[in-house]
Amino acid sequence: MKKIGFLINPIAGMGGAVGLKGTDGKLGEATTRGAVPQAKNRAKITLNALKNNKNLIFLTPSGEMGENALKETALEPVQVISYPENDSTARDTKIAAQRFLEEGVDLILFCGGDGTARDIFDVVGRNVPILGIPAGVKMYSGVFAVNPFIAAEIVAQFEIQLLRDSEVMDVDEDAYRAGELKTRLYGIARVPSLAGKTQLSKQIYEDSNEERAKKEVARFIHEIMIPDVLYILGAGTTTESIAREIGLNKTLLGIDAIKNGKLVAGDLDEKTLWSLLEQGQEAKILVSPIGAQGFILGRGNQQISARIVKRVGIRNIIVVATPHKLRETPLLYVDSGDPVLDKNFGYSIQVISGYRMAQRKKIFQLL
Amino acid sequence: MLTKILLDEEQMPKQWYNVQADLSSPLDPPLHPKTQKPIGPEDLAAIFPMELIRQEVTTDRHIDIPEEVQDVLRLWRPSPLYRAHRLEKFLKTPAKIYYKWEGVSPAGSHKPNTSIPQAYYNMKAGVERLATETGAGQWGSALAFATMLYGLQCTIYMVRSSYTQKPYRKSMMHVWGAECIPSPSTKTNAGRAMLEKDPDTPGSLGMAISEAVEDAASHNNTNYALGSVLNHVCLHQTVIGLECREQLAMVDDYPDVVIGCVGGGSNFAGISFPFAGDKLTGKHKDVDIVGAEPASCPTLTKGLYTYDLADEAGYTPLLKMFTLGHDFVPPSMHAGGLRYHGDSPIVSRLVHDGVMRAVAFHQSEVFDAAQTFARTEGIIVAPETAHAVKAAIDEALRCKKTNESKTILFNCSGHGNFDMSAYDAYYAGSLVDYEYPDELIKEAIARIPKIS
Repeated sequence: MKKIGFLINPIAGMGGAVGLKGTDGKLGEATTRGAVPQAKNRAKITLNALKNNKNLIFLTPSGEMGENALKETALEPVQVISYPENDSTARDTKIAAQRFLEEGVDLILFCGGDGTARDIFDVVGRNVPILGIPAGVKMYSGVFAVNPFIAAEIVAQFEIQLLRDSEVMDVDEDAYRAGELKTRLYGIARVPSLAGKTQLSKQIYEDSNEERAKKEVARFIHEIMIPDVLYILGAGTTTESIAREIGLNKTLLGIDAIKNGKLVAGDLDEKTLWSLLEQGQEAKILVSPIGAQGFILGRGNQQISARIVKRVGIRNIIVVATPHKLRETPLLYVDSGDPVLDKNFGYSIQVISGYRMAQRKKIFQLL
Repeated sequence: MLTKILLDEEQMPKQWYNVQADLSSPLDPPLHPKTQKPIGPEDLAAIFPMELIRQEVTTDRHIDIPEEVQDVLRLWRPSPLYRAHRLEKFLKTPAKIYYKWEGVSPAGSHKPNTSIPQAYYNMKAGVERLATETGAGQWGSALAFATMLYGLQCTIYMVRSSYTQKPYRKSMMHVWGAECIPSPSTKTNAGRAMLEKDPDTPGSLGMAISEAVEDAASHNNTNYALGSVLNHVCLHQTVIGLECREQLAMVDDYPDVVIGCVGGGSNFAGISFPFAGDKLTGKHKDVDIVGAEPASCPTLTKGLYTYDLADEAGYTPLLKMFTLGHDFVPPSMHAGGLRYHGDSPIVSRLVHDGVMRAVAFHQSEVFDAAQTFARTEGIIVAPETAHAVKAAIDEALRCKKTNESKTILFNCSGHGNFDMSAYDAYYAGSLVDYEYPDELIKEAIARIPKIS
């Protein structure tokens, strides 16, 4: 039996349809504008598809945060683990997540958006894998299944051995409402992997194991590192594994600089980074695509600003990613804040995906 | 205007052409992996019959094809030369495109051209079993076919990723009575060591070669057979180019461009060496000879011309060739037959000398070309062959731009009837465009004091 912690954020997505770009702190306004709850219906699609699976036991908060949807689809066995007073606060989500952690669930299946993902991640971190049924207004995190049906498939095939990393993103809702997309990398969760059931299962040897793939990338990058060159490492676990290969500790979410096998500085801001590049310091930037959308620049590593990229040179950007991540990311994006610079990246870029191995990936460019 | 240009059976070549006779200086000799001194025939005698060792080193220009070998080759040879009228029309090119169709052999590729003589000479020498490696399975099935005809047993180490990807090639080997083992395996010391190092390895030709060589060297009744790279293999394949030259003469033509795909180099050698000979001897100085290779394993375009091992474990001699390093494991792309870190020493030498040149392509553009070919000429080619098709189409399109009516000849080395999963992946949009990060590697080699 697999223990699934199941949770719905009942108000997720309500702000979207009525143009509020998010529901946080805006529930009253959303309701006034005529928004109706829809997360439960999304979740029920997934639950219906799991109906005949006798291998699952569901742990859930009472009422609209999970219990009702499970009852309505006649899914059992169900164990209620928390009793939210009102069905919508972040606090209720966090209490449920804490209970999931205590009960030792194998997987947390939640229905919501980026905000829900953040609240759960705050509590469980990398200790419990999470999977989102997409229902929010914003879903920049990589923890969501493509749709509720696929979510059911992933749950059905879920095995603890096949986990991979995925970013939880934080979008500034106020800025977003003002028409500005400000995202930052909030954390890196563990999510169930689809490897082995996708089309390319024939090629499973080389990408069945994310850790192995990262090590291969790291081994290669270590081998080609040049003395006296400053290496700027972007956020994420792929760049982290490069630091580990060299024997260094890297901040997971920050930008670090390495030179001659030593950490020059960790968790750099843009200004400090700029100062490191003075006096003609030769540098290379190592970044991995961030977020479900595959941004090389502009999401989660804004410290690597346009002027820094110009100073280092596009040709000195080394993009790294595991084959699995690349498979899920058909296009890469650049959003440096300088459209001309973005254009200069051209229509494709080499991405290091293994030991002495790369893939040519398309970059999205407006025509 | 003819579509098929056919030779009669009695016009099949009676001799192979040895391009070593026309090189300006002898090839750099193979070196012993331990002593690094040139190897002698006795070093090879443990795994090859004497006649093949002789063919490996001889500089005789022509070598007779034994009557018993010709008998078998006549099952499908001479193979047809096609004029690709429909492809030309589709491309609206003034160029003339010819392709030599080697997919008519029982195994479906050019490989039996050498598996037959190799099995024959081993049988003559009293050998009872042959061990070999295979990438995509083309060579393994060809050797299974040949050993069956001459009553030999056959053990084939098949690169693991292909073993899973191409189950029907394995079935063919079984029909012809051979044993097929995924490599690396636990049958050999080399295989066990590789699995210990990396249990999930997709395998590589270099690894499979080590296993087959070890099997042959450790069994008295067993010899080794290689499907590409070596001089005698390239020699046996020259029937392709020799026939082409005759067939083109029948329509009063001679190629301006000769194209083949390159993995270990044998099919490219087969179609091109007779023309390279014409170039070396000054008969046709201007013929452009082009090898097409994958961007993920770009040995000739991005490799170094140096001595390197032919296998992963270090059992084989050091060969002077273009190489990406014997420890390089190419990704599991669909043209499994082109996943080799090195290249034929003769092809390498000719590329190095500027007699030939090479181009590299990504997977998806190669399948674009294969689709065009299938929808004009009808033949669904092997992913390996598709590289040659791509190079030929590019050349024809260049001719369209410059309005030149060049004669383009390419080797259509095999059918893709067992490669349909690759076409499925192409249509699903899931082909990965692997490439070799040569610039990073070269920069590092140039600036890091030592790099292995």
